[in-house]
Amino acid sequence: MKHFYKKLILGLAILALPALSLAQYCNNFHDSYCEYSENEMYKPNGQSKSALFGKGQTSELSVIVYKGQDYRISLCMDENLGSGMEFKIYENKKVKVEKVTETKEMEDVYGKCSSCDGSGTTDGETCYDCNGSGQVATGEQKEVVSKQTSIVYEKQKTLLYDNTQDNLATELEFSVETTQRLTFEISIPNEGGSGKSSVSKGKGKLVKSSDMGCVGILIEHMTTPKTGFYGTGF
Amino acid sequence: MKKQSKLAIALLVAFPISLLTSCSDDPKPTEDVAQVVEEVVEEENKSYYQIPSPDEMFGFIKESGLKYNSASLNPIQNITSYNDPKSQALNFGIYSADLAYTAAFEEYQESIKYFGSIQKLGDQIGLSAAFDKSLIERIQNNLDNADSLVAITNTSYFSVVDYLEQNEQGDKLGLVASAGWLETVYIAANTINYDKDKAAVERLADQKLTLDNLIAYLEKYSENTDVKEVLEMFKDLETTFAILNEVDSGTGISLKKKEGGKMVLGGGSSIKITKDQFEAIKAKISEIRNNIVKTEA
Repeated sequence: MKHFYKKLILGLAILALPALSLAQYCNNFHDSYCEYSENEMYKPNGQSKSALFGKGQTSELSVIVYKGQDYRISLCMDENLGSGMEFKIYENKKVKVEKVTETKEMEDVYGKCSSCDGSGTTDGETCYDCNGSGQVATGEQKEVVSKQTSIVYEKQKTLLYDNTQDNLATELEFSVETTQRLTFEISIPNEGGSGKSSVSKGKGKLVKSSDMGCVGILIEHMTTPKTGFYGTGF
Repeated sequence: MKKQSKLAIALLVAFPISLLTSCSDDPKPTEDVAQVVEEVVEEENKSYYQIPSPDEMFGFIKESGLKYNSASLNPIQNITSYNDPKSQALNFGIYSADLAYTAAFEEYQESIKYFGSIQKLGDQIGLSAAFDKSLIERIQNNLDNADSLVAITNTSYFSVVDYLEQNEQGDKLGLVASAGWLETVYIAANTINYDKDKAAVERLADQKLTLDNLIAYLEKYSENTDVKEVLEMFKDLETTFAILNEVDSGTGISLKKKEGGKMVLGGGSSIKITKDQFEAIKAKISEIRNNIVKTEA
Protein backbone atom coordinates (compact mmCIF):
# COMPACT_ATOMS: atom_id res chain seq x y z
CA MET A 1 0.00 0.00 0.00
CA LYS A 2 2.82 2.37 0.96
CA HIS A 3 4.58 1.41 -2.24
CA PHE A 4 1.46 2.30 -4.23
CA TYR A 5 1.24 5.84 -2.78
CA LYS A 6 4.96 6.41 -3.33
CA LYS A 7 4.43 5.53 -6.98
CA LEU A 8 1.41 7.83 -7.11
CA ILE A 9 3.38 10.80 -5.71
CA LEU A 10 6.24 10.14 -8.12
CA GLY A 11 3.76 9.99 -11.00
CA LEU A 12 2.19 13.29 -9.96
CA ALA A 13 5.60 14.93 -9.74
CA ILE A 14 6.61 13.72 -13.20
CA LEU A 15 3.34 14.91 -14.67
CA ALA A 16 3.67 18.29 -12.98
CA LEU A 17 7.11 18.98 -14.43
CA PRO A 18 6.16 19.76 -18.04
CA ALA A 19 3.25 21.86 -16.83
CA LEU A 20 5.51 23.99 -14.66
CA SER A 21 8.26 24.33 -17.22
CA LEU A 22 5.80 25.23 -19.99
CA ALA A 23 4.83 28.43 -18.18
CA GLN A 24 8.36 29.27 -17.08
CA TYR A 25 10.33 28.62 -20.21
CA CYS A 26 8.59 31.51 -21.91
CA ASN A 27 10.40 33.99 -19.67
CA ASN A 28 13.02 35.78 -21.73
CA PHE A 29 11.76 34.07 -24.91
CA HIS A 30 12.02 37.43 -26.71
CA ASP A 31 15.70 37.68 -25.86
CA SER A 32 16.50 34.35 -27.49
CA TYR A 33 14.10 34.20 -30.41
CA CYS A 34 13.07 37.68 -31.53
CA GLU A 35 15.43 39.24 -34.04
CA TYR A 36 17.59 42.09 -32.77
CA SER A 37 18.30 45.05 -35.02
CA GLU A 38 21.56 45.08 -36.94
CA ASN A 39 21.82 48.77 -36.09
CA GLU A 40 24.09 48.88 -33.04
CA MET A 41 22.61 52.20 -31.94
CA TYR A 42 19.51 50.34 -30.76
CA LYS A 43 19.55 49.26 -27.10
CA PRO A 44 17.29 46.63 -25.53
CA ASN A 45 14.32 48.21 -23.80
CA GLY A 46 13.21 47.00 -20.37
CA GLN A 47 9.59 46.91 -21.46
CA SER A 48 10.15 43.85 -23.68
CA LYS A 49 8.03 40.88 -22.62
CA SER A 50 7.42 37.19 -23.22
CA ALA A 51 4.36 35.19 -22.25
CA LEU A 52 2.59 31.90 -22.74
CA PHE A 53 -0.21 32.09 -25.31
CA GLY A 54 -2.84 29.73 -26.63
CA LYS A 55 -4.42 29.75 -30.06
CA GLY A 56 -7.27 32.22 -30.11
CA GLN A 57 -5.86 34.24 -27.24
CA THR A 58 -5.47 38.00 -27.14
CA SER A 59 -3.35 39.86 -24.61
CA GLU A 60 -2.28 43.46 -24.14
CA LEU A 61 0.97 45.11 -23.17
CA SER A 62 0.87 48.72 -22.02
CA VAL A 63 4.14 50.56 -22.71
CA ILE A 64 5.47 54.11 -22.62
CA VAL A 65 7.27 55.53 -25.66
CA TYR A 66 9.15 58.79 -25.22
CA LYS A 67 9.46 61.83 -27.43
CA GLY A 68 12.75 62.03 -29.33
CA GLN A 69 13.30 58.27 -29.37
CA ASP A 70 13.16 55.69 -32.14
CA TYR A 71 11.63 52.35 -31.26
CA ARG A 72 11.90 49.01 -32.96
CA ILE A 73 9.43 46.22 -32.23
CA SER A 74 10.24 42.65 -33.13
CA LEU A 75 7.76 39.81 -32.61
CA CYS A 76 8.41 36.11 -32.35
CA MET A 77 6.47 32.98 -31.37
CA ASP A 78 6.68 29.22 -31.12
CA GLU A 79 6.00 27.41 -34.39
CA ASN A 80 3.12 25.37 -33.00
CA LEU A 81 1.07 28.55 -32.60
CA GLY A 82 0.74 28.84 -36.37
CA SER A 83 2.23 30.97 -39.07
CA GLY A 84 1.34 34.49 -38.07
CA MET A 85 0.24 36.66 -35.20
CA GLU A 86 -1.89 39.75 -35.29
CA PHE A 87 -0.37 42.86 -33.82
CA LYS A 88 -2.17 46.12 -33.19
CA ILE A 89 -1.03 49.36 -31.60
CA TYR A 90 -3.49 51.61 -29.81
CA GLU A 91 -3.09 54.96 -28.16
CA ASN A 92 -4.24 54.39 -24.60
CA LYS A 93 -5.42 57.63 -23.13
CA LYS A 94 -7.22 58.81 -20.03
CA VAL A 95 -9.72 61.42 -21.09
CA LYS A 96 -11.27 63.96 -18.73
CA VAL A 97 -15.02 63.70 -19.00
CA GLU A 98 -17.65 65.84 -17.32
CA LYS A 99 -20.16 63.42 -15.90
CA VAL A 100 -23.60 64.61 -14.95
CA THR A 101 -25.38 62.44 -12.41
CA GLU A 102 -29.14 62.82 -12.09
CA THR A 103 -30.76 61.97 -8.80
CA LYS A 104 -34.53 61.68 -8.51
CA GLU A 105 -36.18 62.09 -5.11
CA MET A 106 -39.73 62.44 -3.88
CA GLU A 107 -40.33 65.55 -1.79
CA ASP A 108 -43.30 66.79 0.18
CA VAL A 109 -45.26 69.56 -1.45
CA TYR A 110 -45.78 72.56 0.82
CA GLY A 111 -48.46 75.09 0.54
CA LYS A 112 -48.28 78.70 1.72
CA CYS A 113 -49.91 79.45 5.00
CA SER A 114 -52.15 81.86 3.23
CA SER A 115 -53.64 78.97 1.35
CA CYS A 116 -54.49 77.40 4.68
CA ASP A 117 -56.70 79.56 6.87
CA GLY A 118 -55.65 83.19 7.01
CA SER A 119 -52.87 84.87 9.04
CA GLY A 120 -50.64 83.48 11.81
CA THR A 121 -47.61 81.12 12.20
CA THR A 122 -46.76 77.56 11.27
CA ASP A 123 -45.18 74.79 13.31
CA GLY A 124 -44.09 71.82 11.24
CA GLU A 125 -47.05 70.54 9.35
CA THR A 126 -49.54 72.40 11.48
CA CYS A 127 -50.72 75.76 10.30
CA TYR A 128 -51.71 78.24 13.02
CA ASP A 129 -53.32 81.52 12.20
CA CYS A 130 -51.39 81.93 8.96
CA ASN A 131 -50.05 85.39 8.07
CA GLY A 132 -48.98 84.49 4.57
CA SER A 133 -45.26 83.86 5.18
CA GLY A 134 -45.31 80.29 6.54
CA GLN A 135 -45.60 76.92 4.77
CA VAL A 136 -47.58 73.84 5.48
CA ALA A 137 -47.42 70.30 4.10
CA THR A 138 -50.22 69.64 1.69
CA GLY A 139 -49.91 65.87 2.01
CA GLU A 140 -48.91 65.57 -1.63
CA GLN A 141 -45.45 64.62 -3.01
CA LYS A 142 -43.59 65.65 -6.17
CA GLU A 143 -40.55 64.25 -8.02
CA VAL A 144 -37.46 66.46 -7.73
CA VAL A 145 -34.52 65.91 -10.10
CA SER A 146 -31.13 67.16 -8.93
CA LYS A 147 -28.06 67.21 -11.18
CA GLN A 148 -24.48 66.83 -9.96
CA THR A 149 -21.52 67.45 -12.24
CA SER A 150 -18.23 65.66 -11.57
CA ILE A 151 -14.98 65.15 -13.48
CA VAL A 152 -14.11 61.53 -14.21
CA TYR A 153 -11.38 59.91 -16.30
CA GLU A 154 -12.36 57.46 -18.99
CA LYS A 155 -10.07 55.22 -20.99
CA GLN A 156 -10.02 55.93 -24.70
CA LYS A 157 -8.35 53.68 -27.27
CA THR A 158 -7.43 54.80 -30.77
CA LEU A 159 -6.13 52.27 -33.30
CA LEU A 160 -2.80 53.43 -34.76
CA TYR A 161 -1.40 50.35 -36.47
CA ASP A 162 -2.68 46.95 -37.54
CA ASN A 163 -0.27 44.44 -39.04
CA THR A 164 -3.09 42.62 -40.84
CA GLN A 165 -2.96 45.66 -43.15
CA ASP A 166 0.82 45.22 -43.43
CA ASN A 167 1.21 41.56 -44.49
CA LEU A 168 1.32 40.40 -40.84
CA ALA A 169 4.68 42.15 -40.43
CA THR A 170 6.66 41.04 -37.37
CA GLU A 171 8.95 44.06 -37.28
CA LEU A 172 8.14 47.71 -36.96
CA GLU A 173 10.29 50.81 -36.49
CA PHE A 174 9.01 54.27 -35.70
CA SER A 175 10.09 57.66 -34.34
CA VAL A 176 8.16 59.31 -31.54
CA GLU A 177 7.29 63.02 -31.68
CA THR A 178 5.15 63.13 -28.54
CA THR A 179 5.42 60.84 -25.52
CA GLN A 180 2.56 58.36 -25.50
CA ARG A 181 1.17 55.49 -23.51
CA LEU A 182 0.56 52.77 -26.08
CA THR A 183 -1.16 49.43 -25.90
CA PHE A 184 0.32 46.61 -27.94
CA GLU A 185 -2.33 44.00 -28.62
CA ILE A 186 -1.20 40.53 -29.65
CA SER A 187 -3.65 37.95 -30.97
CA ILE A 188 -2.87 34.40 -31.96
CA PRO A 189 -5.46 33.36 -34.52
CA ASN A 190 -7.27 30.08 -34.34
CA GLU A 191 -6.70 27.98 -37.41
CA GLY A 192 -8.81 29.61 -40.09
CA GLY A 193 -9.79 32.63 -38.04
CA SER A 194 -8.82 35.66 -36.08
CA GLY A 195 -7.71 35.55 -32.47
CA LYS A 196 -10.39 37.92 -31.32
CA SER A 197 -13.40 36.26 -32.85
CA SER A 198 -13.22 33.11 -30.76
CA VAL A 199 -12.32 34.47 -27.35
CA SER A 200 -14.30 36.87 -25.29
CA LYS A 201 -12.11 39.29 -23.33
CA GLY A 202 -11.28 38.51 -19.74
CA LYS A 203 -12.82 35.05 -19.86
CA GLY A 204 -10.74 31.96 -19.61
CA LYS A 205 -11.13 29.04 -21.98
CA LEU A 206 -9.62 25.61 -22.00
CA VAL A 207 -7.04 24.75 -24.64
CA LYS A 208 -4.77 21.79 -25.24
CA SER A 209 -1.12 22.25 -24.34
CA SER A 210 -0.14 21.44 -27.93
CA ASP A 211 -2.06 24.58 -28.94
CA MET A 212 0.05 26.68 -26.61
CA GLY A 213 3.43 28.28 -27.01
CA CYS A 214 5.57 31.28 -26.24
CA VAL A 215 5.19 34.73 -27.72
CA GLY A 216 7.85 37.41 -27.38
CA ILE A 217 7.82 41.15 -27.97
CA LEU A 218 11.31 42.57 -28.19
CA ILE A 219 11.45 46.35 -27.86
CA GLU A 220 14.60 48.31 -28.69
CA HIS A 221 15.16 52.04 -28.51
CA MET A 222 17.64 54.73 -29.45
CA THR A 223 17.74 58.50 -29.61
CA THR A 224 16.24 59.64 -32.92
CA PRO A 225 19.25 60.41 -35.13
CA LYS A 226 19.52 64.03 -36.18
CA THR A 227 19.68 64.41 -39.93
CA GLY A 228 21.03 67.28 -42.02
CA PHE A 229 23.77 69.80 -41.27
CA TYR A 230 24.04 71.10 -37.71
CA GLY A 231 26.16 73.88 -36.21
CA THR A 232 27.51 76.99 -37.88
CA GLY A 233 30.61 75.39 -39.38
CA PHE A 234 33.09 77.49 -41.26
CA MET B 1 -7.60 -2.04 -5.09
CA LYS B 2 -9.53 -1.52 -8.32
CA LYS B 3 -11.16 1.56 -6.79
CA GLN B 4 -7.76 2.89 -5.71
CA SER B 5 -6.40 2.43 -9.22
CA LYS B 6 -9.29 4.39 -10.67
CA LEU B 7 -8.73 7.14 -8.11
CA ALA B 8 -5.04 7.24 -8.97
CA ILE B 9 -5.76 7.58 -12.69
CA ALA B 10 -8.31 10.32 -12.02
CA LEU B 11 -5.77 12.18 -9.88
CA LEU B 12 -3.06 11.78 -12.49
CA VAL B 13 -5.31 13.41 -15.08
CA ALA B 14 -6.72 16.08 -12.79
CA PHE B 15 -3.54 17.23 -11.04
CA PRO B 16 -1.79 19.07 -13.89
CA ILE B 17 -5.09 20.65 -14.86
CA SER B 18 -5.73 22.04 -11.41
CA LEU B 19 -2.10 23.16 -11.16
CA LEU B 20 -2.35 25.31 -14.22
CA THR B 21 -5.80 26.70 -13.70
CA SER B 22 -5.60 27.63 -10.05
CA CYS B 23 -4.45 31.20 -10.65
CA SER B 24 -7.60 32.47 -12.33
CA ASP B 25 -10.58 34.06 -10.61
CA ASP B 26 -12.89 33.45 -13.54
CA PRO B 27 -15.52 30.76 -13.26
CA LYS B 28 -14.31 27.65 -15.02
CA PRO B 29 -16.13 26.73 -18.20
CA THR B 30 -17.68 23.32 -18.00
CA GLU B 31 -15.94 20.81 -20.19
CA ASP B 32 -15.84 17.05 -20.18
CA VAL B 33 -12.33 16.40 -18.87
CA ALA B 34 -12.60 12.68 -19.55
CA GLN B 35 -12.56 13.31 -23.32
CA VAL B 36 -9.36 15.35 -23.21
CA VAL B 37 -6.32 13.35 -24.12
CA GLU B 38 -3.69 16.05 -23.64
CA GLU B 39 -2.93 18.43 -20.82
CA VAL B 40 -5.55 21.10 -20.68
CA VAL B 41 -4.74 24.55 -19.41
CA GLU B 42 -6.84 27.58 -18.91
CA GLU B 43 -6.05 30.35 -21.28
CA GLU B 44 -6.74 33.84 -20.08
CA ASN B 45 -6.52 37.14 -21.89
CA LYS B 46 -4.20 39.32 -19.87
CA SER B 47 -3.05 42.90 -19.61
CA TYR B 48 0.54 43.67 -18.69
CA TYR B 49 1.73 47.08 -17.54
CA GLN B 50 5.37 47.81 -18.29
CA ILE B 51 7.64 50.32 -16.55
CA PRO B 52 10.66 51.67 -18.43
CA SER B 53 13.88 50.57 -16.71
CA PRO B 54 16.14 53.22 -15.08
CA ASP B 55 18.84 53.06 -17.79
CA GLU B 56 16.46 54.58 -20.35
CA MET B 57 16.06 57.77 -18.32
CA PHE B 58 19.74 58.00 -17.33
CA GLY B 59 20.92 57.45 -20.92
CA PHE B 60 18.65 60.34 -21.89
CA ILE B 61 19.87 62.55 -19.01
CA LYS B 62 23.48 61.96 -19.98
CA GLU B 63 22.82 62.69 -23.65
CA SER B 64 21.01 65.89 -22.59
CA GLY B 65 24.30 67.11 -21.08
CA LEU B 66 23.23 67.03 -17.43
CA LYS B 67 26.00 66.63 -14.89
CA TYR B 68 26.52 63.67 -12.56
CA ASN B 69 25.20 64.44 -9.09
CA SER B 70 26.46 61.96 -6.48
CA ALA B 71 24.61 63.80 -3.69
CA SER B 72 21.34 62.39 -5.00
CA LEU B 73 22.34 58.77 -4.42
CA ASN B 74 21.33 56.76 -1.38
CA PRO B 75 24.57 56.28 0.60
CA ILE B 76 25.77 52.67 0.63
CA GLN B 77 26.25 52.66 4.40
CA ASN B 78 22.47 52.99 4.85
CA ILE B 79 22.09 49.37 3.80
CA THR B 80 22.51 48.08 7.36
CA SER B 81 19.37 49.95 8.41
CA TYR B 82 17.05 48.05 6.10
CA ASN B 83 16.01 45.07 8.15
CA ASP B 84 12.44 44.26 7.17
CA PRO B 85 11.46 42.63 3.85
CA LYS B 86 9.50 45.66 2.65
CA SER B 87 12.30 48.20 3.14
CA GLN B 88 14.81 45.69 1.76
CA ALA B 89 12.80 45.18 -1.44
CA LEU B 90 12.19 48.92 -1.86
CA ASN B 91 15.81 49.85 -1.26
CA PHE B 92 16.91 47.08 -3.59
CA GLY B 93 15.00 49.03 -6.25
CA ILE B 94 16.55 52.32 -5.05
CA TYR B 95 20.12 50.94 -5.21
CA SER B 96 19.42 49.31 -8.61
CA ALA B 97 18.56 52.74 -10.01
CA ASP B 98 21.64 54.23 -8.33
CA LEU B 99 23.76 51.53 -9.98
CA ALA B 100 22.22 52.32 -13.39
CA TYR B 101 22.97 56.01 -12.80
CA THR B 102 26.63 55.47 -11.85
CA ALA B 103 27.08 53.11 -14.81
CA ALA B 104 25.50 55.58 -17.27
CA PHE B 105 27.94 58.26 -16.08
CA GLU B 106 30.93 55.89 -16.12
CA GLU B 107 31.54 56.21 -12.39
CA TYR B 108 33.17 52.81 -12.32
CA GLN B 109 34.26 52.65 -8.69
CA GLU B 110 30.83 53.79 -7.53
CA SER B 111 29.23 51.19 -9.81
CA ILE B 112 31.08 48.32 -8.23
CA LYS B 113 30.14 49.58 -4.75
CA TYR B 114 26.45 49.86 -5.66
CA PHE B 115 26.54 46.47 -7.33
CA GLY B 116 27.87 45.08 -4.04
CA SER B 117 24.96 46.72 -2.20
CA ILE B 118 22.27 45.27 -4.41
CA GLN B 119 23.94 41.87 -4.22
CA LYS B 120 23.85 42.08 -0.41
CA LEU B 121 20.20 43.19 -0.31
CA GLY B 122 19.39 40.63 -3.00
CA ASP B 123 20.69 37.87 -0.74
CA GLN B 124 18.48 39.10 2.09
CA ILE B 125 15.29 39.08 0.02
CA GLY B 126 15.95 35.77 -1.71
CA LEU B 127 17.31 37.07 -5.00
CA SER B 128 20.80 35.64 -4.78
CA ALA B 129 19.98 33.22 -7.60
CA ALA B 130 19.51 36.20 -9.90
CA PHE B 131 23.19 37.15 -9.49
CA ASP B 132 25.34 34.33 -10.73
CA LYS B 133 29.12 34.29 -10.51
CA SER B 134 29.61 34.99 -14.22
CA LEU B 135 27.62 38.22 -13.91
CA ILE B 136 29.83 39.42 -11.03
CA GLU B 137 32.97 38.47 -12.97
CA ARG B 138 31.72 40.27 -16.08
CA ILE B 139 31.18 43.44 -14.05
CA GLN B 140 34.66 43.25 -12.54
CA ASN B 141 36.23 42.60 -15.94
CA ASN B 142 34.45 45.48 -17.63
CA LEU B 143 35.06 48.26 -15.17
CA ASP B 144 36.86 50.34 -17.78
CA ASN B 145 34.34 49.85 -20.57
CA ALA B 146 31.37 52.20 -20.28
CA ASP B 147 29.13 50.51 -22.86
CA SER B 148 29.73 47.05 -21.42
CA LEU B 149 29.17 48.26 -17.88
CA VAL B 150 25.78 49.77 -18.82
CA ALA B 151 24.88 46.58 -20.71
CA ILE B 152 25.88 44.38 -17.77
CA THR B 153 24.07 46.45 -15.15
CA ASN B 154 21.02 46.23 -17.40
CA THR B 155 21.48 42.49 -17.56
CA SER B 156 21.53 42.32 -13.77
CA TYR B 157 18.34 44.41 -13.54
CA PHE B 158 16.58 42.34 -16.20
CA SER B 159 17.72 39.09 -14.61
CA VAL B 160 16.11 40.18 -11.34
CA VAL B 161 12.89 41.07 -13.14
CA ASP B 162 13.03 37.75 -14.96
CA TYR B 163 13.73 35.82 -11.76
CA LEU B 164 10.80 37.42 -9.92
CA GLU B 165 8.46 36.84 -12.87
CA GLN B 166 9.55 33.21 -13.18
CA ASN B 167 8.93 32.67 -9.51
CA GLU B 168 5.60 34.47 -9.63
CA GLN B 169 6.65 37.13 -7.14
CA GLY B 170 4.86 39.98 -8.89
CA ASP B 171 4.27 41.71 -5.57
CA LYS B 172 7.98 41.88 -4.79
CA LEU B 173 8.69 42.95 -8.36
CA GLY B 174 6.14 45.73 -7.89
CA LEU B 175 8.06 47.03 -4.86
CA VAL B 176 11.43 46.80 -6.64
CA ALA B 177 10.23 48.39 -9.89
CA SER B 178 8.28 51.18 -8.20
CA ALA B 179 11.22 52.16 -5.97
CA GLY B 180 13.57 51.93 -8.97
CA TRP B 181 11.34 54.28 -10.92
CA LEU B 182 10.99 56.63 -7.95
CA GLU B 183 14.78 56.88 -7.48
CA THR B 184 15.16 57.51 -11.21
CA VAL B 185 12.74 60.44 -11.19
CA TYR B 186 14.20 61.67 -7.86
CA ILE B 187 17.70 61.84 -9.34
CA ALA B 188 16.35 63.44 -12.53
CA ALA B 189 14.29 66.06 -10.66
CA ASN B 190 17.26 66.96 -8.45
CA THR B 191 19.62 67.28 -11.41
CA ILE B 192 17.41 69.28 -13.76
CA ASN B 193 17.47 73.05 -13.92
CA TYR B 194 13.94 74.05 -14.97
CA ASP B 195 15.10 77.15 -16.83
CA LYS B 196 17.88 75.44 -18.78
CA ASP B 197 17.06 71.78 -19.34
CA LYS B 198 13.86 71.96 -21.41
CA ALA B 199 14.00 68.44 -22.84
CA ALA B 200 14.72 66.89 -19.43
CA VAL B 201 11.88 68.90 -17.85
CA GLU B 202 9.51 67.54 -20.51
CA ARG B 203 10.75 64.01 -19.85
CA LEU B 204 9.99 64.47 -16.16
CA ALA B 205 6.48 65.72 -16.95
CA ASP B 206 5.96 62.67 -19.19
CA GLN B 207 6.43 60.49 -16.12
CA LYS B 208 2.74 61.19 -15.47
CA LEU B 209 2.03 58.47 -18.05
CA THR B 210 4.59 56.07 -16.58
CA LEU B 211 3.07 56.60 -13.15
CA ASP B 212 -0.31 55.52 -14.59
CA ASN B 213 1.23 52.21 -15.65
CA LEU B 214 3.00 51.79 -12.33
CA ILE B 215 -0.22 52.29 -10.39
CA ALA B 216 -2.09 49.89 -12.68
CA TYR B 217 0.63 47.31 -12.06
CA LEU B 218 0.60 47.77 -8.27
CA GLU B 219 -3.19 47.54 -8.18
CA LYS B 220 -2.92 43.97 -9.47
CA TYR B 221 -1.04 43.05 -6.30
CA SER B 222 -2.78 45.35 -3.83
CA GLU B 223 -3.91 42.42 -1.67
CA ASN B 224 -0.35 42.35 -0.40
CA THR B 225 -0.13 44.74 2.57
CA ASP B 226 3.30 46.11 1.60
CA VAL B 227 2.18 46.75 -1.98
CA LYS B 228 -1.00 48.40 -0.70
CA GLU B 229 1.02 50.83 1.43
CA VAL B 230 3.32 51.70 -1.47
CA LEU B 231 0.31 52.07 -3.76
CA GLU B 232 -1.11 54.70 -1.41
CA MET B 233 2.16 56.67 -1.63
CA PHE B 234 2.09 56.58 -5.41
CA LYS B 235 -1.58 57.58 -5.53
CA ASP B 236 -0.59 60.59 -3.48
CA LEU B 237 2.07 61.37 -6.09
CA GLU B 238 -0.50 60.84 -8.85
CA THR B 239 -2.59 63.62 -7.31
CA THR B 240 0.40 65.95 -7.62
CA PHE B 241 1.02 64.92 -11.23
CA ALA B 242 -2.69 65.42 -11.98
CA ILE B 243 -2.22 69.20 -11.90
CA LEU B 244 -0.23 69.03 -15.15
CA ASN B 245 -2.13 70.05 -18.26
CA GLU B 246 -2.37 67.99 -21.39
CA VAL B 247 -2.32 70.27 -24.41
CA ASP B 248 -3.75 69.02 -27.68
CA SER B 249 -1.52 69.59 -30.70
CA GLY B 250 -4.57 70.20 -32.87
CA THR B 251 -3.74 67.27 -35.12
CA GLY B 252 -5.02 63.85 -34.19
CA ILE B 253 -2.54 61.20 -33.13
CA SER B 254 -1.22 59.04 -35.96
CA LEU B 255 1.45 56.49 -36.75
CA LYS B 256 2.21 56.81 -40.43
CA LYS B 257 4.97 57.00 -42.97
CA LYS B 258 6.54 60.40 -43.55
CA GLU B 259 9.09 61.59 -46.10
CA GLY B 260 11.86 59.08 -46.49
CA GLY B 261 9.50 56.24 -45.63
CA LYS B 262 10.08 56.50 -41.91
CA MET B 263 7.16 55.71 -39.63
CA VAL B 264 6.44 58.56 -37.22
CA LEU B 265 4.18 58.61 -34.16
CA GLY B 266 3.00 62.20 -33.97
CA GLY B 267 0.13 64.51 -33.12
CA GLY B 268 -2.12 63.93 -30.15
CA SER B 269 -1.52 65.71 -26.89
CA SER B 270 1.56 66.50 -24.84
CA ILE B 271 1.99 67.26 -21.15
CA LYS B 272 3.01 70.77 -20.09
CA ILE B 273 4.62 71.71 -16.80
CA THR B 274 5.13 75.14 -15.21
CA LYS B 275 7.98 76.01 -12.86
CA ASP B 276 5.68 75.92 -9.83
CA GLN B 277 4.32 72.55 -10.87
CA PHE B 278 7.87 71.29 -11.39
CA GLU B 279 8.80 72.36 -7.86
CA ALA B 280 5.65 70.79 -6.39
CA ILE B 281 6.34 67.47 -8.11
CA LYS B 282 10.01 67.56 -7.13
CA ALA B 283 9.03 68.16 -3.49
CA LYS B 284 6.50 65.32 -3.46
CA ILE B 285 8.92 62.88 -5.13
CA SER B 286 11.62 63.83 -2.60
CA GLU B 287 9.22 63.39 0.31
CA ILE B 288 8.20 59.86 -0.72
CA ARG B 289 11.72 58.81 -1.69
CA ASN B 290 13.28 60.14 1.52
CA ASN B 291 10.65 58.28 3.49
CA ILE B 292 11.74 55.03 1.81
CA VAL B 293 15.51 55.49 2.26
CA LYS B 294 15.34 56.93 5.77
CA THR B 295 17.37 55.21 8.46
CA GLU B 296 16.71 55.03 12.16
CA ALA B 297 18.72 57.75 13.95
